Amino acid sequence: MSAIHLQNLVKKFSDFTALKTMDLAIADGEFMALLGPSGCGKSTTMNMIAGMEEPTSGKILFGERDMEGVPMARRGVGFVFQNYAIFSHMSVRQNLAYGPKMRGAPKAEIDRRVGAIAEMLQLTPLLDRKADRLSVNILQRVAIGRSAIMEPAIFLLDEPLSNVDAAFRAVMRTELKQLQRQFRQTMVYVTHDQLEAMTMADRIAVMDHGVLQQVGTPLEVYNNPANVFVARFIGAPGMNLLRGRPAESDRGLVIDLGPLGVTPPLPAEIADAVRGAPGDVLYGFRPEQVTLAEGGRGLSLPVTFVERIGARTIVHLGQGESAVKAVFDNDVGLAIGLTAVVAPAVHSVRVFDAGTGRAIKAGG
Amino acid sequence: MSAATAAISEQAPIPEDNSHPAQAKPALRDEGAKLGFRLTLPAQILVLFIALFPLLMQLYISLTDWSPLSGLGWWSAWSLWNNFANYTDLAADARFWSALKRTAIVMIVCVPAEFLLGLALATLFADEFPGKRIFYSILLMPMMVVPAVAGYMFFMLFQSGGPVNDILSALSGFPVTIAWLSDPTLALIAVMLADIWQWTPLMFLILLAGLVGVPEDQIKAATLLGANPWQRFVTIVLPKMKTIIIIALAIRVIENFKIFDTLYIMTGGGPGVATETISVYIYKLTTQDLIWGYVAAIALAILIVLSIAAVFAMKRMARAREVSA
Ligand SMILES: Nc1ncnc2c1ncn2[C@@H]1O[C@H](COP(=O)(O)OP(=O)(O)O)[C@@H](O)[C@H]1O
Ligand SMILES: [Mg+2]
Repeated sequence: MSAIHLQNLVKKFSDFTALKTMDLAIADGEFMALLGPSGCGKSTTMNMIAGMEEPTSGKILFGERDMEGVPMARRGVGFVFQNYAIFSHMSVRQNLAYGPKMRGAPKAEIDRRVGAIAEMLQLTPLLDRKADRLSVNILQRVAIGRSAIMEPAIFLLDEPLSNVDAAFRAVMRTELKQLQRQFRQTMVYVTHDQLEAMTMADRIAVMDHGVLQQVGTPLEVYNNPANVFVARFIGAPGMNLLRGRPAESDRGLVIDLGPLGVTPPLPAEIADAVRGAPGDVLYGFRPEQVTLAEGGRGLSLPVTFVERIGARTIVHLGQGESAVKAVFDNDVGLAIGLTAVVAPAVHSVRVFDAGTGRAIKAGG
Repeated sequence: MSAATAAISEQAPIPEDNSHPAQAKPALRDEGAKLGFRLTLPAQILVLFIALFPLLMQLYISLTDWSPLSGLGWWSAWSLWNNFANYTDLAADARFWSALKRTAIVMIVCVPAEFLLGLALATLFADEFPGKRIFYSILLMPMMVVPAVAGYMFFMLFQSGGPVNDILSALSGFPVTIAWLSDPTLALIAVMLADIWQWTPLMFLILLAGLVGVPEDQIKAATLLGANPWQRFVTIVLPKMKTIIIIALAIRVIENFKIFDTLYIMTGGGPGVATETISVYIYKLTTQDLIWGYVAAIALAILIVLSIAAVFAMKRMARAREVSA
């Protein structure tokens, strides 16, 4: 019933296309994150699911049911707005009770439900406070509670944590996930913060410029980005991508990176696929999957910057086209001016078509 | 949920009011206040004089039988001292009390009518519809018509051979020849219709400003939570407009209490005294009876009553703002 299917969904604002043919199937009870940079059409997608915007073309199905023409009040979705849209002239209690009250629930039942939801969200001591005097962190909980009290089968959250402080964000990530485990709603969660998407979502839909780039579990998206955009966007820092040309060597297929020399041979599975690809490729590897090759084979690059972030140290190597980042333990002995020889772990290497930006995959 | 959340439940610190940084250094503030006082003193005296002088003059004259026909300068009015007779007369002046009652009736009918019409129109104009800009301009026009012109317009409309009767004839199929402005009740109705025509646009304009200021996402949130349009209006829109509604009503109540120009041209307060409001009565006393001492007493009494009402309204307004801010 509460699975969501988006079929060829398109949204245009006069001559500007905010969303280009989106196809996405969200399973019943799934936690789906819509992840992408600002302005990529995440909110537009959500607003169409909620019924606040009409799609220009395409379909939205809840289960088997076509939602076209169904007004937002009858879609049974809970929606948490980016700025919470709390009724500032009411108390916390009145905010929480709003939905049941408007639907004519009996007073005793409203009280019971408000009590339960307030208890769960730790809002009980604040029930009689005016909503306009509360901190963002509290408003955020009220917004979630106000929707959750309706026990919607579909819960839509538009960047609910983007305005709260970092410590609270970490707490809320856990809690939202628990809330969803408890109630098993279908949850669509919009965010531009990959950490939120990675930690909470069952699957992530990565979007850019109104185009769905990839859908997959957090690990799939991280390990096997479908294209260059996803490779760069996911991960902090994103994947290293170096332009080169495939070349045969006696050890197998390598990529000739020009002035940087040649790479170690590609794993056999992708070597075949790369052989079939026309033109230049991008040689990709995660900064976390790089080792220092003491005197051995690897990419020899000057250290340009050292970023110490506590547990880890991010070392920036090379410049321009051949810029590479590598993440090491914090005791790494590299400093600006030295030259490092780095080697990507062979299994972590991904290759992309330089022309189309698509991943070149084994067997495809 | 988790224990970690207990810490978040407390309220965020309310930011301290830093709007008076000078409070930190009282000596300096006193210096500044002194200089400020000296700099604004001439203006203060002027304002005081403008506000206070007519008031004192009025009070002075109201205690006498002075009139421009008495041959005395107003400053020598003390020789006509009448032992508060103007005020005791006022208490017993049936024509005054009936004018006051009539003014109240006009207000009780016109202001709510203007408010409801203005609110309905504002609700209509908050959404888009074809031709909105043209209708908007047309709607605001009555406000721009000079009241004297509006008065003549309505005078013509309500003649027994005028357009109002023509329309009624056309609608009913019988020749209608109602003498609107010569019938005591109908004249009052005609006068009130003119006021409603003339002042609904102002109400509309103020309420529209308030209406477009209601946050759209809160209305959407209410819709998603299942509120129907009427519920949304009552639970979200009206409470958010509370301050502006009070302001709009206050403006119209004060203005309507002084209703004069259009009305006077339409009926001159007649037939008889059927449309004689406070302003019309005062005008007649001033220009026809020329008993200015008595007029001063009436004006002062009304000023005091209105001031008390205004202070009361302002207090309520401040409280409403505090609540809905
Ligand atoms: N009502 C609108 N009219 C015109 N353009 C809009 C409207 N709503 C959104 N857009 C545009 O559509 C694009 C996607 O917006 P949005 O879905 O809000 O992005 P985000 O991914 O940040 O939530 C943006 O470029 C935005 O400017
Ligand atoms: Mg957005």
